[in-house]
Amino acid sequence: MIRSGKLATGLGLAGLIVLFGLVGPLLTGDPATIRDVGLTPPGGEHLLGTTLTGQDVLAQLAHATRGSLWIGVLVGVMATVLSGVFGIVGAYAGGIVDEVFSLFSNVMLVIPGLPLVIVVAGFVPADQRGTWTIALVLAITGWAAAARVLRAQTLSLRNRDYVAAARVSGERTWRVICVEILPNLLPILASQFVFAVVLAILSEAGLSFLGLGAANSSTLGTMLYYAQNGFALQREAWWWFVPPGLVIALFGGALVLINFSIDEIINPRLRDRARRGRDVVAVEAEIAPVDDDAVLTVRNLNVVYQAATPVHAVKDVSLTLRRGEILGLAGESGCGKTTLAYAINRLHRPPAEVTSGSVVFHNGADVDVLALEPEELRQFRWAQLSMVFQGAMNSLNPVTPIRAQLQDVLRTHRPSMPAAQREERCAEVLRLVGVDPARLGSYPHELSGGMRQRVMIAMALLLDPQVMIMDEPTTALDVLVQREILNEISRLRDELRFAVIFITHDLPLLLELSDRIAVMRDGEVVEYATAEDVYLRPQHPYTRQLLASFPSLTGERGALIT
Amino acid sequence: MTTLEVRGLTKKFHRFQAVDDVSFTLTAGRTTALVGASGSGKSTIARMIARLVRPTSGEIVLTGPDGEPVPRRAYRDHVQMIFQDPFASLNPFHTVEHHLARPLRLHGRPRSEVPRLLEKVSLTADFAARRPHELSGGQRQRIAIARALAPGARVIIADEPVSMLDVSIRLGVLKLLARLQREENLSVLYITHDLATARHFSDEVLVMHQGRIVERGPSDDVLMRPQDPYTRRLAAAAPDPEARFRQGGQP
Amino acid sequence: MGYYLRKLAFYLTALWAAVTLNFVIPRMLPGNPVDILMAKLQQRGGSVDPAARTAYETLLGTGGRESFAEEYFAYLGNLLRGELGVSVSAFPAKVSDVIGDALPWTVVLVGLATLLSFLLGVGLGAVVGWKRGTWLDALVPATTVLSAVPYFWLALILVALLSSGLGWFPLNGGYDVVLDPGWSPEFIGSAIYHGTLPALTIVISSIGGWLLGMRNMMVSAMSEDYVLTARAKGLTDSRTMIRYAARNAVLPSVAGFATSLGFVVSGSIVTEQVFSYPGIGSKLLQAVQNNDYALMQGIFLVITIAVLGANLVVDLLYGLIDARTRDRSTVS
Repeated sequence: MIRSGKLATGLGLAGLIVLFGLVGPLLTGDPATIRDVGLTPPGGEHLLGTTLTGQDVLAQLAHATRGSLWIGVLVGVMATVLSGVFGIVGAYAGGIVDEVFSLFSNVMLVIPGLPLVIVVAGFVPADQRGTWTIALVLAITGWAAAARVLRAQTLSLRNRDYVAAARVSGERTWRVICVEILPNLLPILASQFVFAVVLAILSEAGLSFLGLGAANSSTLGTMLYYAQNGFALQREAWWWFVPPGLVIALFGGALVLINFSIDEIINPRLRDRARRGRDVVAVEAEIAPVDDDAVLTVRNLNVVYQAATPVHAVKDVSLTLRRGEILGLAGESGCGKTTLAYAINRLHRPPAEVTSGSVVFHNGADVDVLALEPEELRQFRWAQLSMVFQGAMNSLNPVTPIRAQLQDVLRTHRPSMPAAQREERCAEVLRLVGVDPARLGSYPHELSGGMRQRVMIAMALLLDPQVMIMDEPTTALDVLVQREILNEISRLRDELRFAVIFITHDLPLLLELSDRIAVMRDGEVVEYATAEDVYLRPQHPYTRQLLASFPSLTGERGALIT
Repeated sequence: MTTLEVRGLTKKFHRFQAVDDVSFTLTAGRTTALVGASGSGKSTIARMIARLVRPTSGEIVLTGPDGEPVPRRAYRDHVQMIFQDPFASLNPFHTVEHHLARPLRLHGRPRSEVPRLLEKVSLTADFAARRPHELSGGQRQRIAIARALAPGARVIIADEPVSMLDVSIRLGVLKLLARLQREENLSVLYITHDLATARHFSDEVLVMHQGRIVERGPSDDVLMRPQDPYTRRLAAAAPDPEARFRQGGQP
Repeated sequence: MGYYLRKLAFYLTALWAAVTLNFVIPRMLPGNPVDILMAKLQQRGGSVDPAARTAYETLLGTGGRESFAEEYFAYLGNLLRGELGVSVSAFPAKVSDVIGDALPWTVVLVGLATLLSFLLGVGLGAVVGWKRGTWLDALVPATTVLSAVPYFWLALILVALLSSGLGWFPLNGGYDVVLDPGWSPEFIGSAIYHGTLPALTIVISSIGGWLLGMRNMMVSAMSEDYVLTARAKGLTDSRTMIRYAARNAVLPSVAGFATSLGFVVSGSIVTEQVFSYPGIGSKLLQAVQNNDYALMQGIFLVITIAVLGANLVVDLLYGLIDARTRDRSTVS
């Protein structure tokens, strides 16, 4: 809603100004006509008053708007073409062409534009400074930033598989660029064009204001130049000075609003969204009698994404996690298994909302997780329940060393722990997962994928939590590394007796690893039994279908090909 | 009968040896599986055969049905590729029709074959007008297979064609590939990290480790009775619930 | 090649390009600057001996008497010795002296204003991104629209309102002319008093860009897994926001410093003109209006070197705050 509001305002305002520039000069009189009504305030015959020499400000404004828009479009087109050539072609060609083009763009980028334009304008005698000269100079000094953006985007696009597929089909290079890559760059090109137009109008206004604009041109900048030299503000003739600047500001503002909307198309994350006050609504802590051995009880949990059409992501899920057990949560993408895991720790974000149910943690006393106040929740997290996420690649902060990320936990949860003890604890958990404590000083990118996941597990062990939720912890890893990590998790569980909720789409893995398994589909738990029962006596057809989806390495061969 | 022979294929990226002296032959009507961990060089081989990456040394020789080497220009009429990620391998800007009609046209076939291609991959003709975002992962991968068939290719390189798909539809796509392979007498190079499907869907298996082929042979021999220590470790690492419940042992 | 070496090499290349551009422009464009300069020199009573002419010709071109290469090397030699010629608009001062007098004013004004604008913009952007969905969102379009306002127009309006109207600030100048320039407290106070409004103009007009960039990156960073991990770890909100989200979100703003600095410098040249500020921007315009080509070129070079230097510093800093950059460049 707000998004389309921005776009509508931007387009409407820009449209009005363009219309004024196109049609205005036809309706108003000759802007140069001198009358003996100098500095008449707005009203009557002269809607926007007159200048010092009695020229009609409205007529001048219409002509000047047209002049500025013309410059803006000229420069916009030229700069976009230049940035396209240097950004897109260079990036696609790669190798030495890219090196040279990119070096050139970067050099042009760091050489300040306006001083260069001023110097060039200074060398060209005033009578030879035409609109095209100015536009050309502005375009030449203004394309580099856009080229850099386009290059980055093209580099990412050219490595997409659909570009490779087009090449494998035998498409020619120019066609790959024009038909496969260019359309996907359109939003960025549009945004860069809009930006170039704003920049050109602003720069031209600056140049003209300094008296270095195109000879005999009429733009908003020249209008301001005459207003300033006629001491418009000192004579309090605001109607002469304010409108040209205002038109520039409004037009620039309108284009900026349009660019916001384009940015939101390019990056949907940027879209406005309303913030919800609470992540949990309507919770009644009905703590039913539970298993003595239970450490975590989930009862009738419902999670809904409150979109235009609400999506019921988790439906009436009830699970019991016993002390020291590994509970497998199996399901395919979109079945709600990750949403469930996040909701248990209240990590879900708006528009996701827990609409009913309870999550109770048993550690001596019962803790109603859904009823915790923010500060209590913060203290509960990691101390009682820690998590290991799928992308160990992205779960670690890329810009700080491992040490800082481990110590963070202790600093926050054990503020009184002395520094030396903190360091020792971090080293200890790393040793537990088989990582050399010397790695504490390493950055995440210096570690292999398996090593990063080990560090994440070490981090999850820091506070000796009762429960660990692992969301696809080995999916991104190689078979051999996956096996090592799984062995590690089993061993640590046996030694430290924490309970694990292990989430994955890989049912055979769960069958091997877990004590009990819950199979999820469309937000519901369709099967919940011991691993042995799920494997040998599956009840639900979906479970059987999933089981059949994994051919056994050792089973009968050729049975699948029919 | 079209055959593709790879001889002494080597690729170096800077100092890193991605593929080291690899040789094998693909023959019509047979599926060869190339298995290995990520980073073992299997995708680089796929990209070299598809002429997306230039080999550092070695050669790829394609022999046409007439027994003559296929000239460079006609190479892409014969060799096509299916990519791993169906969400990345179709251009979000274009319709399914575009994705199929272009390769048809480039290889001198009429646009009117689009419905026939769709039918081949068990999709209806009305899919032609859709765009990728309207399709499920499995449907996208079917389109990608149809695109590979469009030029009338005889050699298909399938680079992890199902690893990004939901588990319950993986076998369907693999079965489709197997059916097409038989019907069209294709040679298929099936690249995967999954030993089980490699065994079930291929005649021959090549095991890659750090750029080299460490073991090769008929798929049952290699995967059931591995000789190379690396292959043994791979086979042992795959989850095997069978061992836990049928034979009574705990992991 | 190490990250730092690569950066240094790049900036040396850029410097060479700027120096060469400076050499080529007067030779490529129409007009005969040397003759104009000599005529001006004569008007001002300067010596018009062949030596003076040669000096200008080295700078601006001999009209084909010497080969391009000879001219080029003579020009480079002069630059290395710091000889930029004699200014005709400030005759008999040397160009280097004119620049030396004006440069500190601009460096302090633009430097402080840019730093302030960067810190404020990035800080506000981080908060606006973090508190997304609140009234703070309105700050984004508001400040970005401000950056579409011409600097000089805003400056003049501010002068009309705050200086002429309310009398809060002086109309123009860099200090009270009755004071002697020096390190006396009165003089510094006066300089700060005079610099406030120009600095304010620069900050108001340039803050929007920083804010928008930071806010957008913040929003992206907040959906990254490491921020999720930080929340799951039970870290305090402020720690998550600063150490995890903002720490990563600020990187592109720092990397994109070059783009933004160019705009700020361009804007501040015009701003200086409005305030008759005794900085290098006003001197550049004075040079252009008086056809003082030697001064023009000298100033262009100095501005370019200053911008390159600032970018080099920022790039080196970037290597410190993002370990990945240092390692990446050793691979490729």
